[in-house]
Amino acid sequence: MWDTFRAVFWAFLGIRSSQGYDEDRKKLKIHHVIIAGVVCALVFVVMLLMLVKFITAK
Amino acid sequence: MASATTHDHAHGHGHGHDHDHHGPGPWTRIFTTTNHKDIGSMYLWFSLLMFFVGGAMALLIRAELFQPGLQVVQPEVFNSLTTVHALVMIFGAVMPAFVGFANWLIPLQIGAADMAFPRMNNWSFWLMIPATILLMASFFVPGGAAASGWTLYPPLSTQGGIGVDMTIMAIHILGASSIMGSINIITTILNMRAPGMTLMRMPMFVWTWLITAYLIIAVMPVLAGCITMLLTDRHFGTSFFNAAGGGDPTMFMHIFWFFGHPEVYILILPAFGIMSQIIPAFARKPLFGYASMVYATASIAILSFIVWGHHMFTVGMPAAGQLFFMYATMLIAVPTGVKIFNWIATMWRGSISFETPMLFAIGFLCMFTLGGFSGLVLSIVPVDITLHNTYYVVAHFHYVLFPGAIWALMAGVYFWLPKWTGRMYNETLGKWHFWLSAISFNVTFFPQHFLGLAGMPRRIPDYALQFAEWNMISTIGAFALGFSQLLFVYNVFSCIRSGEKAKERQWDSADSLEWTHLPSPVPYHTFETPPDLRGTNAAH
Ligand SMILES: [Cu+2]
Repeated sequence: MWDTFRAVFWAFLGIRSSQGYDEDRKKLKIHHVIIAGVVCALVFVVMLLMLVKFITAK
Repeated sequence: MASATTHDHAHGHGHGHDHDHHGPGPWTRIFTTTNHKDIGSMYLWFSLLMFFVGGAMALLIRAELFQPGLQVVQPEVFNSLTTVHALVMIFGAVMPAFVGFANWLIPLQIGAADMAFPRMNNWSFWLMIPATILLMASFFVPGGAAASGWTLYPPLSTQGGIGVDMTIMAIHILGASSIMGSINIITTILNMRAPGMTLMRMPMFVWTWLITAYLIIAVMPVLAGCITMLLTDRHFGTSFFNAAGGGDPTMFMHIFWFFGHPEVYILILPAFGIMSQIIPAFARKPLFGYASMVYATASIAILSFIVWGHHMFTVGMPAAGQLFFMYATMLIAVPTGVKIFNWIATMWRGSISFETPMLFAIGFLCMFTLGGFSGLVLSIVPVDITLHNTYYVVAHFHYVLFPGAIWALMAGVYFWLPKWTGRMYNETLGKWHFWLSAISFNVTFFPQHFLGLAGMPRRIPDYALQFAEWNMISTIGAFALGFSQLLFVYNVFSCIRSGEKAKERQWDSADSLEWTHLPSPVPYHTFETPPDLRGTNAAH
């Protein structure tokens, strides 16, 4: 679970070390990665929204 | 060598004549073929033709803009030209060309005998013909072709004559064709890989197309819904986008750009894939950060759905919305930048040689980065508010799409031509083609940055006198750019007719299956028995 999210986090940055990738290949399931990807995209959107709220607050 | 590759040689005839053995004559073969190589070639020829049709329109546009005042075309026709130029280039040239590459290469690179749905493959090619006829014929109907710009914004697009309806129908058909193509590609990749060709061993080109195909399936229906609403607004009394009837033209923009921004990635991700095949082959090093590249491509695809608002900063949007889309857009540059760094790292300390495909690849890297940076400039809300709808935007997306999509396609053609035809193109001519394109492209489009910064609006046939000089230079560059592409056509034809024999592995470091397992030219049928790659070290 945590591994999946860590891999998706690195994917959003676009970087993955070959060591981390080897672990991914052993542990991760593609369906989990897709779900985690969508969840992380939503989290990303919410984070941006919160940042925007914070900046535009008087 | 896989045993599957040898059988066709037993016929002992040249590539150009092998239809003799497959029953139907050339015309029947063209209409009925289900062979992925035939269909791939048909896609590529079609897109080459459309590239010149769209290019001719571009030259008419530039001819009109050579001097201030109206000389060449009427303003209505000018607006139609800008509209149809874009539609032809996007849906008629770039997308079909990438589908052509997909048809040719995906089965070869994953060790499959053909695409998963060969008949649907034929159908999705032939659908493009009536669509193109509709689009072209719309110039000759009362009211002329759609003149609203390719984005078809209402109310311009709810006015207009039957030409707009023909355009809508054409886009519907082309969308259906792309969706079928994508279903075919996804099914092929997920189900027909040779034993041992795991997902994370697939060449980058296959990966980028897998992700692109999902993008197409996700957004083409959105476009179809959008233009269907436009159609019902025009003819059936609905008011989706008509403010007088309670509708909202801004909604059109939101729906359109929810399709439109991922569409940009549809046009560029397969180009990234081609780059990731070519650069390692000429740097003689494996692709740096293969896993990173796959991860970055996937995240670019996801993020592409949350940035569409950057096309609409000026239409009226709360400041919070502007900030959201600005931040999201800037952040998408991170995974894209990583890809650029990965390609540079691939070249780092490689023993690079500069044949034509590599020249186009390096040209791609430099120019695409420039286009990316002007995109970042435009993502800044206050800057965009002054630059919106100016020539700066025109310069930006041509930097992304011409050296991005088109040069990747050119590089890919030069790269795989020896494999497809069994013959080599003329290297000197190829280099001339690259350098002439590189210089004339920059002469055409770099001054458009200046024009935009000075305030010249896009989509106008006439302009104020202070823009005259750079427009003249830009037009001269455009004609040079257009005519340099004839070198490419000549090179391809002379390669097919009389090029030198190509080697099986023409590029010694290219390591995908079509180079390592198949002769040049590739036989008509390949991998009827899939190669067994288990335990081998087939690279990306
Ligand atoms: Cu966009």
